[in-house]
Amino acid sequence: MTSAKAANRLQLTVALGLLLFLQFYVRPRLFEGRYAPDFVMIGLVLLALRSGPGVGALAGFLVGLASDALSPARFGAAALANTMVGYLAAQTRAFFFADNVLVNAGFLFGAVWLRDLIVLVASGSGDQGLATSLLIDAPLQALTTALAGTVLLVLFGGWFRIRLDQQ
Amino acid sequence: MARGTERWESRRDTWLFAGCMLLSVVALLMPASWGTTVAAALRTTALAPFVWLQELAAEGRTSRSRFRAVASERDSLAELSRTLSGLVEENAQLRSLLDLTVRTGPGFIPAEVLHQTLPTDGRTLLLDAGRADGVSALDPVVTPEGLIGAVREVDQHTSIAMTWAHPEFRVSAVSANGQVAGIVGPTSTGDASRTSLEFRAITYRDTLADGAVVVASGLGGVYPRGVPVGTVVGVEREQQGWERVYRLRPAAQPSVAGHVLILHGATPLRIPAAFAVRPDSTDSMPAAPPAAVAAPQAAPMDSAAKARRRRRLRADSVAAAAAAEAAGPAEPAASPPPAMPPAAVPAVGDTGGGTR
Repeated sequence: MTSAKAANRLQLTVALGLLLFLQFYVRPRLFEGRYAPDFVMIGLVLLALRSGPGVGALAGFLVGLASDALSPARFGAAALANTMVGYLAAQTRAFFFADNVLVNAGFLFGAVWLRDLIVLVASGSGDQGLATSLLIDAPLQALTTALAGTVLLVLFGGWFRIRLDQQ
Repeated sequence: MARGTERWESRRDTWLFAGCMLLSVVALLMPASWGTTVAAALRTTALAPFVWLQELAAEGRTSRSRFRAVASERDSLAELSRTLSGLVEENAQLRSLLDLTVRTGPGFIPAEVLHQTLPTDGRTLLLDAGRADGVSALDPVVTPEGLIGAVREVDQHTSIAMTWAHPEFRVSAVSANGQVAGIVGPTSTGDASRTSLEFRAITYRDTLADGAVVVASGLGGVYPRGVPVGTVVGVEREQQGWERVYRLRPAAQPSVAGHVLILHGATPLRIPAAFAVRPDSTDSMPAAPPAAVAAPQAAPMDSAAKARRRRRLRADSVAAAAAAEAAGPAEPAASPPPAMPPAAVPAVGDTGGGTR
């Protein structure tokens, strides 16, 4: 049992490392512009779904802090947004069958959209810009993120699978 | 027992969430300077490997995609440099005849833009050049198309640029012919990829035609005179019959910029010529494409055209030199570039305008 848990943790660590590599090396090489998939968000949502609300919130806070440091338009906005996303993603797994690939894609879509909403509101965007961003830009980025997440889950689904004994 | 553990885990989750939320709100509400310090500390320590990885990726992508463009620009510049040496020599002779000091040369640092996934990316940009490369705070950041913004924070190997899409951005600007001066700032639409610019504080009697090019005026000392800021696309609003606000189409887009130049040190030489802004043109005339890029496509110049061009350059140099001479015995560091006619230089001191 203990060795199985250790193997699961190792798989999860490798998968999260892979997502970080995709975010900081593959994404800038392959994609340009705002609509590139957010691999860190994929990692955050999948970790939150697997680990629980507390760990989800903590991981969201750390991811948000890193985002704020790299794009400091309004320090703290991304930390707030990602904390809420991490916590809510973990809470909502109680209401859905979170091992389903399509449900995960839906989670990812909602997470990116919610993150953008909170970041834009917290950083004081105007009404017109907020509407444009939430109705056009955020859904497009959310869609690419959900698609990328689906592909990753199909390839590495076993590594992120939620096990009932860990819930 | 199991219920007790469950309750403890639930309580732990709630406390973790509440703690993270509290810290986030504190980060959001604390003074901007503290946030800047924390962000810089994170970038240079925990996030340094990720920034390095992204720098590698950006270099790899741009080096491939820009290779052909750079090769054609190099060919164009090689062609131009053949005729330039004579002009430089001639300019030096004329300047010595007029007792002018030697004009300082350009200083710029190329940098890749490391885009992030947040919707506010575009208001601030992470650049892969820092203090070690010679970047300083308030250095202007430009692309071949025009002004992007200015450096706000500098780390050892990276820096943060505040772009024109940032709500706090302002630049003192003037129409390309130097007749209409005002302040350019972003509209309040918020999203960096959708934001446009406003040309404010224009007196009601001054009018600008659609298509007029607006450039940085050089006042305030941050942005050098002549860097294109945007093109007039209409009147945004009029206030009480005393002020007109024009809407500008930005010259450069921060959210899609992949490679920028950080102007550093001495005021760059002939800024309007570098961006091919024509100050002697009418306001409605759009800017010509940059000379270095346009040269390969241009028809070969005949000898008469070359002679006319040389005469015009000589006339411009003498006119600018005379203007500088009239302003004082020694040339100031931020004097108007030679391509500007004397009439284009507003009679105001270096006290207003630019964003600090």
